[in-house]
Amino acid sequence: MTAAEHDEMTGLAPDQAEETVLAAEAVQASPAWPDELETSHRPRTGRLGVVGWLRWTWRQLTSMRTALILLFLLALASVPGSVLPQEGIDPAAVTQYYQSHPSLAPILNRLSLFSVFAAPWFAAIYLLLFTSLAGCVLPRTFRLVGSARQKPPRAPSNLARLPASTSYQTDLPPAQALASAAGLLGGRRFRLNTGDGWVSAEKGYLREVGNLLFHIALLALLFSIGLGGIFGYKANRLLVTGQGFADTPTALDVFHPGKLVTPGDLAPFSINLLGFRASYVTSGPEFAQPISYNAALSYSAEPAGPVRHYDLRVNHPLVVDSVSVYLIGHGYAPVFRVTDGTGKVRWDGPVPFIPVDNTTLTSEGVIKVPDAKPYQLGFAGVFLPSAEDASGRLESAFPAALNPRVSLVAFKGNLGMNSGTPQSVYTLDTKDMKQLPISPRPLAAGQSMKLPDGAGTITYLGYQPWVSLAITYDPGQLPALISGFTALAGLILSFLVRRRRVFVRAVPAADGSTTVMVGGLARSDAAGGFETEFADLSRLLRTGQDGRDAPAGQAGPAAKAGESAADSADTPLEQERGLLTVPAGRQAAAGAVTDNPETLRVREDPSREVRSREDPSREGK
Amino acid sequence: MPVNVSLADLSNGLLLSTLFLYALAMLSYACDFAFARHRVQAGLSETELAVPELVGAGAGAVSAGAVSAGAVSAGAVSAGDRSAGGAQAGSVAGASARATDRGRPPAVGLDGPSASRWPSGLWLRLAFGLTCTGLVLHLFAILTRGLAEHRVPWGNMYEFIGAFTCMAVIVLVVASVWYRAYYMGLFVLLPVVLALGIDLTLIYTPAGSLVPALQSYWIAIHVTAMIVAIGLFVFGAVVTTLYLLVDRSQRRLAAGQSSWSAGIWRHLPTPAILDRLSYRSVLFGFPVWTFGVMAGAIWADHAWGRYWGWDPKETWSFITWVVYAMFLHARATAGWRGRRAAWIHLIGFGCLMFNVIGVNLWITGLHSYAGMS
Amino acid sequence: MSPFQHPAAMAALSAAAAALAVLAVAGCDGGAIGADVPQSSGQSFVGHSYESTFYAVGHRPAAPQVSGTTVTGQHLSLAAYKGDTIVLNFWGSWCDPCRAEAPALGSLARQLEPDHVRFVGIDIRDQPDSALAFMQTFNVGYPSLSDPSDEIALEFHNTVPPAAIPTTLVIDKRGRIAVRIFGESTYASLEALIDKVAGLK
Repeated sequence: MTAAEHDEMTGLAPDQAEETVLAAEAVQASPAWPDELETSHRPRTGRLGVVGWLRWTWRQLTSMRTALILLFLLALASVPGSVLPQEGIDPAAVTQYYQSHPSLAPILNRLSLFSVFAAPWFAAIYLLLFTSLAGCVLPRTFRLVGSARQKPPRAPSNLARLPASTSYQTDLPPAQALASAAGLLGGRRFRLNTGDGWVSAEKGYLREVGNLLFHIALLALLFSIGLGGIFGYKANRLLVTGQGFADTPTALDVFHPGKLVTPGDLAPFSINLLGFRASYVTSGPEFAQPISYNAALSYSAEPAGPVRHYDLRVNHPLVVDSVSVYLIGHGYAPVFRVTDGTGKVRWDGPVPFIPVDNTTLTSEGVIKVPDAKPYQLGFAGVFLPSAEDASGRLESAFPAALNPRVSLVAFKGNLGMNSGTPQSVYTLDTKDMKQLPISPRPLAAGQSMKLPDGAGTITYLGYQPWVSLAITYDPGQLPALISGFTALAGLILSFLVRRRRVFVRAVPAADGSTTVMVGGLARSDAAGGFETEFADLSRLLRTGQDGRDAPAGQAGPAAKAGESAADSADTPLEQERGLLTVPAGRQAAAGAVTDNPETLRVREDPSREVRSREDPSREGK
Repeated sequence: MPVNVSLADLSNGLLLSTLFLYALAMLSYACDFAFARHRVQAGLSETELAVPELVGAGAGAVSAGAVSAGAVSAGAVSAGDRSAGGAQAGSVAGASARATDRGRPPAVGLDGPSASRWPSGLWLRLAFGLTCTGLVLHLFAILTRGLAEHRVPWGNMYEFIGAFTCMAVIVLVVASVWYRAYYMGLFVLLPVVLALGIDLTLIYTPAGSLVPALQSYWIAIHVTAMIVAIGLFVFGAVVTTLYLLVDRSQRRLAAGQSSWSAGIWRHLPTPAILDRLSYRSVLFGFPVWTFGVMAGAIWADHAWGRYWGWDPKETWSFITWVVYAMFLHARATAGWRGRRAAWIHLIGFGCLMFNVIGVNLWITGLHSYAGMS
Repeated sequence: MSPFQHPAAMAALSAAAAALAVLAVAGCDGGAIGADVPQSSGQSFVGHSYESTFYAVGHRPAAPQVSGTTVTGQHLSLAAYKGDTIVLNFWGSWCDPCRAEAPALGSLARQLEPDHVRFVGIDIRDQPDSALAFMQTFNVGYPSLSDPSDEIALEFHNTVPPAAIPTTLVIDKRGRIAVRIFGESTYASLEALIDKVAGLK
């Protein structure tokens, strides 16, 4: 246990601490808060054992300075993740980056700069940060729990040295004065400690509670994210109107399971897409802007379960069996029939085309017919929902399918699909194929393109809309939400509550009355506000005890000429609500009286602002 | 529902008038600095700093305060908070000495007694009145825009900038009355006027409806929280900038060099008080920002199926959060208070501005709702 | 001095808590903390690594009663093959590894038929025309059930769900799943596994 902790526990040695106040060095403890000693982080001697070095390393890791550095690194490390294209968000953009920066891209890839947030060095930063956090917060939590019943320390002997102090005379005997003070302070929910001739009061433990709650909630948030990552999964599925699918890995286009997720863990629901409608603005400055998207679904939670209907829209996901299904995209799937050279139909159905222009929904797609004979056939096409002649070229003018046209380029040869290496259904590898010498022309619904060399015919039959669904299951989602809100609550609590101490001493004065001295200070009160409260309390104490000013010239060890705090009604003190430093005609020691009437002495003491690592009411967070 | 064009035009006109009134208010604040005599007394003058014993009854205060600070002169000789403490003691003593002069109570804000919390002096009253009138028009501009569009009026960058500048002025007005921070008027209105000017000319987007992704009640929660937080942070950043400038000016003076800007900083309170005000604005702004980020995450999960996807906007709001957290940690770490913390504050604000504007303009992602092509 | 006050104990406790945090996060797939916004990238989920699991006798889950319509339009039920060893292969004509293993499956089917080994295909996300074209290309002699909406795949949900395409299951004579293969099989590897299950050679 450090000296600071010892002091706090026993309440002893405030005198010892007081002496240090007047020293010229900056880093010292203040009178009534002796645990603010800044502990040195340097090892004392040149020779430490292994354990000593480990301890030193641990203290470095859990210090505030390290936390600052790690926070800075975390912010800095996130920057490339937002500026460079990221693999997990937009793989196409990454490919494009490779093409435009061919020499730089592999270097960036080696440094994991295309997947920053999954990179090991990023994980190292936040793990170190959370270790530092845990190493600081957990001991303080235990200490807080341990000190929950602890009484405030003994009142310092010289209350005048405190940042806020005042004194007055009263006719009550000292014991009674103290008792009434204790009663008042206790009534205001201060925790009390009494002794011979003094009363100590402390309030504001909730600040530390809030602070620790915030940091522990951050730890819990990290756990929840991890939980979701281990037991949850994310998947995508593109569904053409009229099709259906079930929540099983073979049905999903993209499947990212957590480490402990097995295919049997997937909720066995199935969904059918009955129809999709999109509406767009047809005139005015927002021409072609989407108004609404609606996907009509029917679904059942289990294979033989009852079938329900749902209108899926953006911001209105479908929740089945704790799994959420979101509408995240849509497009067109033109329907084709491909007849090969032998006259047999080898393809008859919709082919999803992917939008390349999100405003007009001009889409591109690929049709692969690997079992056409005598040649394998491949087609690359462009679909224009509202085809319009724009200066000689055909372009889509509007995202709705007002005048759908498709235009195809045909290839024959080897699609490369029999080799076993998987390829995307949306890309056509033409390296082993020959383009057929027929120029693409826009086909309307029902029109065909006859291919030369007896390769076959392709007919465009119309289109079906498709939707893209995101399926996510995250068991850590609710814990993350609760952690987040707990963190927010802890944060607000720690910002609102200040920890402060008020001391009262009563000594008999020469003329038979009692001199009552009141002093107080707030810990971590850089935002101000304590002075108002202190003025308030002093006023109440005085009026409760019929206090009056000390006669002029009389100066007790800590007595200063003090005006009635009740006069502070004239000052803005009681009107101020926060950032106020009361005019402090601060006097030199021992009783010099100035002609400057002073109400309360408040000292802005920079030396007070030192914080140690073990500071339980660390200001700010 | 179609847009009500006449209301939309009214909104544009109101915003233009707002801009005009803010500009006039700025002029009035400047005139207040230039012409209102009482302000000079309450601030810091070069003589006060250099020769503290001239400060009559407060001499004892200065020396005693200096003792506690470990330095002898009211000197801002050392960096950061020590200088703030010393100088503050000096100026505060000065102010209190003058408090006994019953002729004219100084209208200092945070560092001294003042007769009332309302502005005093013709120019200041005019400036504050213009500010408040401008604010009322500003609020009506936003309201009419929302009525014209039949939705919450923050759906694109034009509306967003209009909203958070309004919030910044609200913070200015509240801080002026609550903390008597009238001296902030000129400096906060300056970026507000600039932002509104650019907003109305370059960024202007006609009234319209929301894309489906934004059609949710969450826009009233998440975006509103962000607007409130940004208004608070804008105010805080202006205060911090002033803190750094005033502090630098003071240190130059204390070191015997000249500081041409000291004439302006006479009207401002001590760096310590500016520092506290800056800290206060983050104290309010940080929880609101935290809430805004969380609300955004909840909405993202609702709309896109994941509560955090490292989208550029999400990433930069995280970076902003971390840097402001750094600021709060720095304030609790010895050796990092004062100037270093202030610089961290400004870096945080820089990240915030990049988040609000830069990401919309230069980085595409799910969050590209600028409304501009 | 209570144990909570002892610095070394606190350090140890904190380290343990931090380690738990590390484990929790390290266990997470790139998906949660990593950068991942669901967008249809167009990559259909195809298994491209090989993994086979052999279930020992007594640890074999029961195969569900699968029935449906074949790609040629007829009705077929696995109950018709009761007492035989059944090889169930999930495939699609668009799936390249399925195309690569098709010749091996076709010839194994012909070769092992006298040994009461029946091959049945389950065709995923295909239309009848493409499926029939595939079967003609690779001379597939055994029937395939059509499963465009994954109903059949879903029936395996509680036992051995197909986690990739292709997936091959070998069901023993008692109707229990003995082998699960993810990925492209070779002639030799599949033959060895079937022999083991059916007790041939």
